[in-house]
Parts: sequence; structure tokens; C-alpha cells
Amino acid sequence: MTGLTSFYREKEAYLLGIGFIVFLLALWQCVPLLITLPRGYALFFTTPSRIAATFYRLLVEGQIQEHFYVSVAAFLSGLGIAIAVGLPFGIVMGRSRTLDALSDPYVTALNATPRLVWLPLFILWFGIGIWSKVMIVFVGAVFPLLINTYAGVKNVDRVLVNVVRSFGANEWQVMKVVVLPNSLPYIIVGLRLAIGRAILGVVVGEFFGSSKGLGFMIASAASNYKVDVVFAGVAIFMGLSLILTLSVKKLENSLARWRPEAAKNF
Amino acid sequence: MVPCIQARDISLTFKPKNRDPVTALKELTLDVAKGEFVSLVGPSGCGKSTFLNVLLGLLKPDGGEIRLNGKQITGPGQERAMVFQEFGLLPWRTVLANVELGLELKGVQASVRRERAMELIKMAGLAGFASHYPHELSGGMKQRVGLARALVTDPEVLLMDEPFAALDAQTRDLMQLELLQIWDRTKKTVVFVTHSIEEAAYLSDRVIVISARPGRAKDVMKIALPRPRDYEMRLSAEFNDIKARIWASLKEELVTK
Ligand SMILES: Nc1ncnc2c1ncn2[C@@H]1O[C@H](COP(=O)(O)OP(=O)(O)OP(=O)(O)O)[C@@H](O)[C@H]1O
Ligand SMILES: [Mg+2]
Repeated sequence: MTGLTSFYREKEAYLLGIGFIVFLLALWQCVPLLITLPRGYALFFTTPSRIAATFYRLLVEGQIQEHFYVSVAAFLSGLGIAIAVGLPFGIVMGRSRTLDALSDPYVTALNATPRLVWLPLFILWFGIGIWSKVMIVFVGAVFPLLINTYAGVKNVDRVLVNVVRSFGANEWQVMKVVVLPNSLPYIIVGLRLAIGRAILGVVVGEFFGSSKGLGFMIASAASNYKVDVVFAGVAIFMGLSLILTLSVKKLENSLARWRPEAAKNF
Repeated sequence: MVPCIQARDISLTFKPKNRDPVTALKELTLDVAKGEFVSLVGPSGCGKSTFLNVLLGLLKPDGGEIRLNGKQITGPGQERAMVFQEFGLLPWRTVLANVELGLELKGVQASVRRERAMELIKMAGLAGFASHYPHELSGGMKQRVGLARALVTDPEVLLMDEPFAALDAQTRDLMQLELLQIWDRTKKTVVFVTHSIEEAAYLSDRVIVISARPGRAKDVMKIALPRPRDYEMRLSAEFNDIKARIWASLKEELVTK
């Protein structure tokens, strides 16, 4: 008994969280047994078991995989380009006054613009397909990365730069030994935001500018009243976002080993 | 004999943007002999740190000449290393990686620099802490890392900017003693900045009093106490005499100008 109690104490938050989800799913499952929905509404209603069954069917038919690959390809390419552009640009802007002054107005203006207004233009320029999606993912993800990297570089401790310089470090070594490690916590915050924006980019891009992908699957299922399929798509996005967020958190904690305990997970 | 450090009429004015320029040093002249332990004392803001940064090669004076073994100082070099006041340790690096820094930047092979760094870690009394991060160390231990890091490249000149100011009195006494022992063994030239007259008198061959800003070398006091010096020596009448002399000179600079 005491063993069980202490096990519960240890995992309380975890068990409560999981338990409540299970409870809500069960409640949802029981709704049709408790109340009879009018015909018109029943069309838009589904239960967890039906969603699971549909999910399984789509998986067996290979439909989910097909759409999944398309979405993931757009997500990864867009985010990858955003990282490849945002990080170096953020570092250079943080280190060079001239470049900072030159690019600041554009960065500020572009960052303040709602990113989705570019979608019609991208569809015109790049057509319906992967490239318009990649571009919208890129535009969403690049600014949080750039701006957070910039902030991390700007925030670098002058004393530490002097310490490293006093040992004869050149600008490149200063970057490697001080500036980059110092910015890492900021970059990871940027990455977390960027991932959220990138996923949003994929979904919206596929709603409007695509004939493939999970977003397209959801949108076309919704217009055909296939609520189960919509939910199956939503579940995939949920799982994906969760996994990515947790991985970033893990990365954050492993890189933050040198921080005092209290500062972790800021 | 050519002195190890030769500073002639060093002047330096900071010109911060949108603010009035500050003349930190004006025609500062001083010499430090090879193997000598010299302390600089002076009122806060008189330019002591600025002078050390000039010596280190991080700041360029507007006027005057500064030479090391007869050669003009134009930038940082491995013959000089600094121990910083607030330790200046890289918080994301372990003790070992912090101590290795100077060798790493010089491109020394990993195994060689590890061995050398471990040697210094042991010498600094930090054996067993090589894989700790700075936030896991006490103030005294952090400054031992600072000292080990400065010594790792075996510099000829050790610059120390109020290295023990952040430590409690007992740790400070201990570190002073250890520093004297290290200095005695390695025969390095030391330029030591402090606000403590007692510390300056205890450690140094000479104490140089710097005037209120703009800083120049106002007075030079030779400390003729025998070495090795121990803690008891601080209780002698002779020692108190020296302190009184330094204080008399420094006092004039502390009145608000
Ligand atoms: N980077 C800088 N920009 C502008 N002014 C500076 C800069 N560094 C120092 N100063 C000014 O130069 C003067 C001398 O500074 P410095 O740090 O050398 O004094 P210090 O003698 O070391 O003082 P303390 O004993 O308080 O450490 C001060 O008035 C300070 O405000
Ligand atoms: Mg100072």
C-alpha cells in the first residue's frame, strides 16, 4: 500500500493529467448513449472510437502516410531554410552596427506584417504545390529565429568577450567561444516559436494552396462532412506538435546543464 | 637594465556616444622590473582598470608609449594574462574547459592542453572539481579557477584587477598567501590593482599611488619588508608604518574634487 502511495506521490501530476484525458475521452464516447442528437447535428458529430477506426483505416490504405510525407517535407524544408538564414543573419546583425542599421527597418516591418498575407502572392509566384508552402513556412519561422538570435548576440557579456580577447582570440574565435554559447538559450526559445509558426504555415498553406498534405486532407474532408477524417488529421498535428515541443524542451535542458537549477526551463 | 614594463606618458580619453568624454589616464608614467610585484592603489574611477586593459592590449592609449621588454604593446599577447575582478569565467564551461581556454585558442592539441590544465587545477587546490561548472563553486574557488586559467599559458606578466575583492576576509587571506607562494616559485612579474592598502603593502615590492582622475602615478613606495612574508608580519610596527604612509598619500586623492 505504501509503495503504491509513494508511487502516486511521485507521479501525481503525470497521472492526474493522463487520468483526466482518459475520463474526458470516455465521457465523449458516452455522449450518444446519454442524449439523442437531432439528425442534422449527428452528421457533424463523432466519437473517439470512430475516429480511431477511421485513423486505422486511413493508415492501412496508406492515405495518412502519403499526406504526412508531403506535409513533413514542406515543414522540414521551410524550417531548415529558416534556420540556415535566420541564425547567421541574426548573428551578423547582432555583431555589426552597420548591418543592424541597414536591415532593422525591413526586419521590423516584415515581422510586424501578418505572415499569411503573403500566401496569395506565393501561390501566384510558386504555384499550387510544395514551394508556396515552403515559402510560407519559411516566412513564419525565420523571424522568431532571427530576432531571438539577434537578442542573444546583443546580450553577450562584454567582460567575457574581453576575457577571450585577452587570450588573443580573433573575431571568429570570439564568436565560437563566447557569442554563440551565450546566445544558445535564446536561439532555442526562437526555435520553439519557429516550430509553432512553421506548423501553422503548413496547415494554412495546405488549406489554400495545395492538393496534397494533411492540411489538404482536413480541409477536403471537412467540405465533404467527413468529421472522422478531420479529427484524424487534427490528432496527427497534435501529436506532432507535442513531440516537437518536448524534443526542444529536452534539447534546452541538456544544453542548459551549466545553469543553476532554478534557471532551467525559463 | 631594461624594465619589463615601461609606460611613458600614457593618456586615454573615453569618448562615449552622446555623452561627455572622460579622460581616464593622463600622462601616466611607471616602470615595473622583471619579476617585481607592484600594486596600484587609487580612488575609484581613477583609471586603474583602464591602465591594466592598456597593458593587456585591449585598449589603445591616445598618447604615450607602452613597452614590454622594450617592444611596443599593440594587442594581446601570450606573455601577459589577466585575473579578472568578477572572475570572468565562462558559465557554460567546466572548470577544466575554462582553464584550458588560453591553450585552446592557441591551437594546442587537446591531450596536451588537458594535461597542462589538470596540473594547474591541482596546483590551485581544485583537484576533484575539474568537471564542475562555475555556478557550483564558491567565490574563492572561482577565483582559483581564474588564477589557474591565467597561468595556464605560463605568461611572463600577470595582471590582476582586484582579484580578491569579492571574497570574504579569511578566503582572501588564504589566497594572498597562496599567490605569494606561486609568485615566489614562478618569478612572474605581477601588476596588482587593489583598494586595500593592507593587501598592497603585504604583497608588493612597490606600491604605486594613482591620483584621482585623470590618473597618473603620484607616489611610489618601496616596501622593504623581508620575504617570505607571513601573516604575523602584518602585526609589526614597521608594517603599520608603511600602511600609514600609503594612506597619507592616498587620502589627498580621496577628497572630492
Ligand atoms: N568603456 C568606457 N566608456 C566610457 N567611460 C569609461 C569606460 N571605461 C571606463 N570609463 C571611465 O573611465 C574612468 C576610469 O575607469 P576605470 O574602470 O579604469 O576606473 P578604476 O580605477 O578601475 O575604478 P575602480 O577602482 O572603481 O574599479 C571612469 O570614470 C569610468 O567611468
Ligand atoms: Mg577597476
